[in-house]
Amino acid sequence: MENTSYIALSRQTALWRQLDVVSNNLANMNTNGYQAEQTLFSEYLMNTRDSHFRLPEKLAYTQDAGTYRDLTAGPLEHTGNPLDLAINGEGYFEVEDGAGPAYTRGGRFTLDAEGKVVTADGRPLMTDAGTPLVIAPNEGEVTISATGTVSTENGPVGKLRLVSFEDEQKLRRIGGGLFDSGDQQANPITEPRIEQGMIEKSNVNPVVEMTRMIQVQRSYEAANKLIESENDRQLNAYAVLSGTK
Amino acid sequence: MRALNIGATGMLAQQTNVEVISNNIANMNTTAYTRRRAEFHDLLYQNLRRAGSNSSDTGTIVPTGVQLGLGVKTAAVYRITEQGSVTSTNNALDLAIQGKGYFQIDLPSGETAYTRDGAFQLSPNGEIVTHDGYRVTGLGAIPTNAESITINPTGEVLYKIDGQTALVNAGQIQTAIFPNDAGLNAIGDNYLTETAGSGAPTVGVPGSVGFGTILQGYLESSNVNVVSEITELISAQRAYEMNSKVITTSDEMLSTISRMK
Repeated sequence: MENTSYIALSRQTALWRQLDVVSNNLANMNTNGYQAEQTLFSEYLMNTRDSHFRLPEKLAYTQDAGTYRDLTAGPLEHTGNPLDLAINGEGYFEVEDGAGPAYTRGGRFTLDAEGKVVTADGRPLMTDAGTPLVIAPNEGEVTISATGTVSTENGPVGKLRLVSFEDEQKLRRIGGGLFDSGDQQANPITEPRIEQGMIEKSNVNPVVEMTRMIQVQRSYEAANKLIESENDRQLNAYAVLSGTK
Repeated sequence: MRALNIGATGMLAQQTNVEVISNNIANMNTTAYTRRRAEFHDLLYQNLRRAGSNSSDTGTIVPTGVQLGLGVKTAAVYRITEQGSVTSTNNALDLAIQGKGYFQIDLPSGETAYTRDGAFQLSPNGEIVTHDGYRVTGLGAIPTNAESITINPTGEVLYKIDGQTALVNAGQIQTAIFPNDAGLNAIGDNYLTETAGSGAPTVGVPGSVGFGTILQGYLESSNVNVVSEITELISAQRAYEMNSKVITTSDEMLSTISRMK
């Protein structure tokens, strides 16, 4: 009897989650290296009293089954900062996150007091030798080739470790633009393409997100309308059955 | 109601962004000002349905899961230490550093400040000082009868006494370099001080490996690029508006609930 309202409620709950995802995308529209998140909806079938009939009747609720990342590359912006790195194509930079490696595409790096190349949170950028990349204090000209070889006026100092994963969707976000590998094997990329002095902007398309937000709002109102008319219908039915009308 | 809070983090971040950009524009004519950029990071994530967890007894796993982000945070405000362009001033005591390095200034407190603003003047005692009258570290006084002051690319300060032919050395300008320039603490008036984040300074003679050279008669302009600042400003404003729209939308969705009969 109450199923209509519950189905509409399941839709509304899922829509709130979708609004959360859309608003997180909009909040991060200026976050370098951020990849937009999208929601997946699926139906959740429920048996009813009549499900044992030959033509069973099942109720379809809405469920937000998952979120996935939009993996398209964001636009590259020239910054003129020699330690701003953008990955042209696939791959992630490896940084050390205390407990183990973390991965990121946000390529704004800086030097720390010890000359280590680190992220804004101070996590060191790793080389293919498994050591942090260090620039000596008297080395001013840092050149990073497209393949990730780092050299200064004193010669080469290391090669950046760029990795890819079999299934990028399995990477888990841990905040701060970082990803956890999610028990996946990190495969070094043999021919990376790195652009020095450029940065990958977020790939959020604000226009699409805004229209999606309007759509969420309207769908939410439609579901609300459904709940209200169902309520009216029930009130009407009670009135008729109880003879007050 | 995560969306309300997420929208708020977005608005706060963009506000910081606008503040940083407006400070850059305000300082576009400040000698040797290095522009700042705000850097944003995504905030924490909530795992509502963890990717990789079992979805049935036969071992099928959830491929993506539901991860909800909780907004954005300001991770850092960087100083972008790109060389600014140099402009000729024809003033003997205007110095620009071409390449890496900072002038060392003795603050009245006894500390050393660092600056790339080389608009120096002579004090009543003949010392080379900044606008505020703070001495450049390690230089001797220049007598009043000095005819011309030459500062060569390696930082040697030479002057000639009227009627004499030999040049007299008044000292050596040494510059300081840091492992991490961006970690210096700006204290205003174009001065920077050392922090744990910048690392300890290495002091050296201009022109040696890793240090820049000194240009006499030039000043380094700020490295603010007005066109890119304005486009950043417009983009920040739009982002702010969109985040406020998120708040309006969540509010309207909430109000449909309270309007329900």
